Amino acid sequence: MSTTRRRFVLGVAALVPLPFVARRLHGLAVASLDPVRLRALAAAVLPAELGAGGLERTAQAFEQWLAGYRESAELLHGYGTGEIHVTGPSPALRWAAQLDALGPSFASRTVSERQAEVRAAVGTGRFAGFPPIDRAPHLALGLLAFFYDSPEATDLCYRAAIGRNSCRPLATSARMPLPLATGR
Amino acid sequence: MRRVIESDVCIIGSGISAAMVAEKLSETGPAAIVVVEAGDESNRAAERYALRRRYLDYGETPWRNDHLDGYDVDGIQSRSMQVGGLAMHWGGVTPRFSPEDFRVRALYGVGHDWPISYDDLDPWYQDAEVRLGVAGEQGPPELDPRGAPFPQAPIPLSYNLEQLRGWTDRAGIPMWSQPSAKNSAPYRGRPACCRNDTCFPVCPIGAKYSPDHTWDPLRASGRVTLIPRTVVRRLEVEGPGSRVTRAVAVARDGGSETEFRARIFVVAAGYVWSSHLLLLSASSRYPDGLGNGSGLVGKYIGGHRNVGGFVSLPLRLFPGINEQHSLVSKKFMRVARTTRYLRHDLRVWESAAGREPRLGDSTGRLLLGDALLADWRRRAATGAARVRAYYDVIPARESAVTLDPVQRTPWNDPLPRLSLRDDPVSAELRGPSEAAIRQVFDGMARAGDGAVISTRSDSFQDHPAGGCRMGTDPRSSVTDSWGRTHDHENLFVVGAPTCVSMGCANGTLTFCALSLRSAQEIGRDFPARR
Repeated sequence: MSTTRRRFVLGVAALVPLPFVARRLHGLAVASLDPVRLRALAAAVLPAELGAGGLERTAQAFEQWLAGYRESAELLHGYGTGEIHVTGPSPALRWAAQLDALGPSFASRTVSERQAEVRAAVGTGRFAGFPPIDRAPHLALGLLAFFYDSPEATDLCYRAAIGRNSCRPLATSARMPLPLATGR
Repeated sequence: MRRVIESDVCIIGSGISAAMVAEKLSETGPAAIVVVEAGDESNRAAERYALRRRYLDYGETPWRNDHLDGYDVDGIQSRSMQVGGLAMHWGGVTPRFSPEDFRVRALYGVGHDWPISYDDLDPWYQDAEVRLGVAGEQGPPELDPRGAPFPQAPIPLSYNLEQLRGWTDRAGIPMWSQPSAKNSAPYRGRPACCRNDTCFPVCPIGAKYSPDHTWDPLRASGRVTLIPRTVVRRLEVEGPGSRVTRAVAVARDGGSETEFRARIFVVAAGYVWSSHLLLLSASSRYPDGLGNGSGLVGKYIGGHRNVGGFVSLPLRLFPGINEQHSLVSKKFMRVARTTRYLRHDLRVWESAAGREPRLGDSTGRLLLGDALLADWRRRAATGAARVRAYYDVIPARESAVTLDPVQRTPWNDPLPRLSLRDDPVSAELRGPSEAAIRQVFDGMARAGDGAVISTRSDSFQDHPAGGCRMGTDPRSSVTDSWGRTHDHENLFVVGAPTCVSMGCANGTLTFCALSLRSAQEIGRDFPARR
């Protein structure tokens, strides 16, 4: 989707804030994400240790996550409270624009050059923890938040097959997790 | 036209206490059991894997229809109102209270004693443990008395918990596997737990007990008729006697009135809605509501507060092996008489506190690529534990569910209003109690050559109960020890509302045990089923 067209669509969305319009815009924005540039971004911000396969898996999973995002979905009400909260607006339009803004030559640059561009794009604030994925102010931060929230990231950090949140036999829980297999 | 439904027993509410009563009665008791539930059907078991995925990926609730619009109550712990109630998304943790919980006045000179003892309840604890399928480890007998073994072998300690148990041993605190209604092996048609680790909010495979595992077979066999989306608005006594004769309800679909007539009425609607219904049932003859001759309906509600924290330890741990399982100790629940009353449980979980990945380094500079992973690895080289202690809070008489003078339900009935107040003894002890628990955490950290990372006290009271407390004296209690209201021989209140105190451990198993005991008494009114 071109920048001009995206501006037009955003303008229409502001005038007609109907759920089906939002869903349609979300779908258009997801479809417009440049897969090559997204993977170039992933290679710049995610650890190289993931390897080409891991980077591709993460990029694909991120695309699926974004495609599956639903606005105004009821969130789990927390422990000790009955307050109801819902998911916010889809980040897809915002992130698609940010990916566009990295420019057509982004993918052909070196990793360090791309990292410098990302730093410039996300600003110079003080960074601490990860934002909620959908509220990440920049696509790069959303991608980082997505990956580092994953069981795969935990396994990579500990270099062990912990397999958080996956179905594993109870009987094996008593032993130290096995080292990660190489060649991921 | 008003619809009339007749039964032997009408149970109002379909949560875990109702499920216990219905199942027990269906085995030996009356022919016709009708259960009325205000909420919707809960999601089906087959949907839960996909719903869990949405929860993990987006934080979406797996229980979208678990509450009613227009039933927002300030201070309520959960808005859960659905078939199966709150226990559709409980954590499945099932400790018993300790013997001291039933005798705090006699032993410590504070609060109020129950009309029953731990030993009286022990057989019903066993019954509840069998029905729920509790997997547990026998703790030291002097700390963890019980009349029979657990029905299932314990959930094994994970590698992380084994390391942490070594630490608590060094701290001189005996800890063991937390009893849980989660299958350590296939049990009653449900599979063994496989560490999906989302017990709260949803077990995707049914290894954790939830009330649908009771309701589904009861409904399928026709032993129970469960009517959802129907709000009971009041109970009524007609004629000269004091027996409750009908429950007047409204269908959420279309608003038609339904009248439930039964020989026995069982209010099983939790600590808020049970008292609320009795208060709503006021009439010219019973201006303060039903069962309220003592004036105590809705009074003495409470729970336990907690102090929690995180401790860093020089241990190599692997967060994520089985995060929702924990160690437990009753060492601090079974204390001798002291000058300053404090009893609390103690639990320990694996944790990644202080070891999470982060976007910025200690100067706030954005970390990218390999630098971020390296930063995480460096900080994750040693481990952490989560610690938490629930301590006993004695509720004041004024700690109450009352009728809200302003807020109304969609049917124009007053909503409940919650006002939790500590008894003056507990109010005075709050600061010293929380300080003493922090000292326990400090001592544990020192014993492990570690350090307390942080602590916090939650202001809310967990596992709330009370409101229709049991007792022998009709002037100071709402029900007898069986949950039968003193004022109406055929009106029972079961489970959480009947608690005299809320102990210092999760209450669900106790609510179930009490409900089963009530069911035994209710069943006496009916000939045995052939």
